[in-house]
Amino acid sequence: MRAIKGVLLTCDPAVKQILLLLNEKESFIIEDLDDHHLVIKAEQEYRIRKELEAELEKNTYSLES
Amino acid sequence: MPSAQNTDTDNDGKQHVQHIIIPFLQSQSQNTLTRLYQRPSSCLSIFRLLSPLERQLVMNLLWLESAISANTMHAWVTREGRKLYDEALVTLSRLHILLTATGKLALNPTFKAGFRQAITGGGSTGSFGIPAEQSDKHPGIDIEGLDAYALERWETILHFMVSSGTGQQPTRPSSGVLFLLQRSGLMSGSQNMAPQITSAGFQFLLQPPHDQLWDLLLQYLRLTEERAMDLVEVLGFIFMLATMELGREYSIENLGVHQKAMLEDLRDYGLIWQRRPSSKRFSPTRLSTTLTSSSPPLPTSSGTNSGPQEGFIILETNYRVYAYTDNPLQTAVLNLFVTLKYRFPNLVVGSITRDSVKKALMNGISADQIISYLVTHAHPQMRKNNPLLPVTVQDQIRLWELERNRLKSREGYLYTNFASQADYEFVLNYAKELDIVLWESPAKRCFFGSIEGHANIKGFIERRTMGAGP
Repeated sequence: MRAIKGVLLTCDPAVKQILLLLNEKESFIIEDLDDHHLVIKAEQEYRIRKELEAELEKNTYSLES
Repeated sequence: MPSAQNTDTDNDGKQHVQHIIIPFLQSQSQNTLTRLYQRPSSCLSIFRLLSPLERQLVMNLLWLESAISANTMHAWVTREGRKLYDEALVTLSRLHILLTATGKLALNPTFKAGFRQAITGGGSTGSFGIPAEQSDKHPGIDIEGLDAYALERWETILHFMVSSGTGQQPTRPSSGVLFLLQRSGLMSGSQNMAPQITSAGFQFLLQPPHDQLWDLLLQYLRLTEERAMDLVEVLGFIFMLATMELGREYSIENLGVHQKAMLEDLRDYGLIWQRRPSSKRFSPTRLSTTLTSSSPPLPTSSGTNSGPQEGFIILETNYRVYAYTDNPLQTAVLNLFVTLKYRFPNLVVGSITRDSVKKALMNGISADQIISYLVTHAHPQMRKNNPLLPVTVQDQIRLWELERNRLKSREGYLYTNFASQADYEFVLNYAKELDIVLWESPAKRCFFGSIEGHANIKGFIERRTMGAGP
C-alpha cells in the first residue's frame, strides 16, 4: 500500500480538461481520478488557480471593452 | 415545513425571523434578566421583539394569577402548530420569561409585574423616562430637526465605511464610533493606520438600517463588560429609549451613572440629540424610538437632502440600473456592485456587469446579498413585476458567484496500491468510521483521505502489519 500526499481538486469536467491542458505545459497532476477529481502537488495549487483563472477569463466577454 | 412556516408569519405576511437581540439576552444569566425585567419599559420592548406566537403565549399567561398546567396549554395547539409551539416555549423559557418547571407554565413574577405595569400604567419608577419641563428659554428641537440630525449622524458612519480605501476623505465619525466599528470587525486597521472596511463591513452596508442599528448596538452591549459598565443599566436605557416619544424632551436626572456615560456614545450614533454635551435634557431621535417597532428607523419625509428611503432602483433585463437618488451614500453603496456610467441631479445610471459583480464578490459580498438589496430598494414601478427582479439578471448574478467556485481543493493523502480487495476495504471502513474519506473508487482500489486523518490511518496500518507480522 502507498500513501501519496497531495491536494484533491473537485471540479467540473470542463475545468478538468483545461487543467489537463495546463498539465502538458508543466506537469503537476499526481493522479487523474475521474471526471470530477484530480490529485495534484500541493505546492502547485496557487499557480494552477491563477493560470486557470486567466484561461477562463479569455472565454468571457465584457460590455466595457 | 412550508405549512409550519406559514403559521409563523407577521401581519404583513413577512416571515418572522428571530430578532438578533434575543440570542444575546438568552446568553445572559437569570439574575441579569430578572433585574432587567424590573423595568416595565424593558418588558414592553422585549415583548415587542418576540415572534407573534411568543407574544400570544405571553398575553395568554399574563393575567393568570396561578400557574397553568402544561397539558392544558398543549391542548390548544393544533397538530401542525406543535413544532412552533414547542420552539416558542423554549425561546421564552431561555429568556426566563416563562417558568416551565414542575409541568406547569407561568410567567416569571418579575416579568409579569413589570409588563402589567407597562400596559396598565401606574407606578413611579420612571422606567419610561421622565419628560423634562418645557421651558421658554431653551425650546426643544422639532421632529424635522431631529430627523435631519439622526440621518446626518447615521449616514456619516455609513459613508465613512463605504468610502474607506477609495481615497476620498469623508467626514470622520468620532473615535468612539471608529473604535466600535473596528471592534465589531466591520472595519480593520489599528490606531495609526487608516481603517479599512472588511468583508463583514460590506455585508453590513447592504442590510436594512434597522438591522444595521441593532448590529452596532449588540456590539456596544458586548463591550459593556470591558468598560466595566452595568449591562442591565445599558440594556435598560436602550429599551427605555425604544419606548420614548419622538419629539419630546426627557430629563437626565434619574439616569444612572453608566446611563449618563452612554449619552455621549448614543449622541455619536444619532440615537439621541442634546443641545450641549452638558445639557440636562435629551431628545430621542427616530432611530431610537423605532428600535422595537416595525416602522422605518429613518425619516421617509422629504425635506432632508437625502434620497427616498425606499424604492429608488429600477433594474432592467439588460442589466441596466437606474437609481433615482441624489444621496451620496446610496450611490456609494450601489458602486459596490454596479458599474456606474452617468450621474444626473436626481438619477444615477449604471449597469451590472461581470466585472462589477466580481469585484463585489471579492469584497466578500454574496450574490444573495446583492439580490436582496436590489429587492428591498426596488422602485415602486418595479413592484408591478412578478418576479420583482428580472430572472435573467438574478440568475446571472448567481452564476457569476458559482463561477468563482469552480475549483474546490482539499489537502490530504491518496491511499493506493492495496495488496488485496479485503485489505482495501478494511482500511477504507476504518477511514469511513473516522469520517475522513473525501473520495473513493473501489474499481481503482484507492481512496483519498483528508490530512487530519492521516496520522490515524498510518497508525492503524502500522498496528495491523505488526499484528500480522512474524
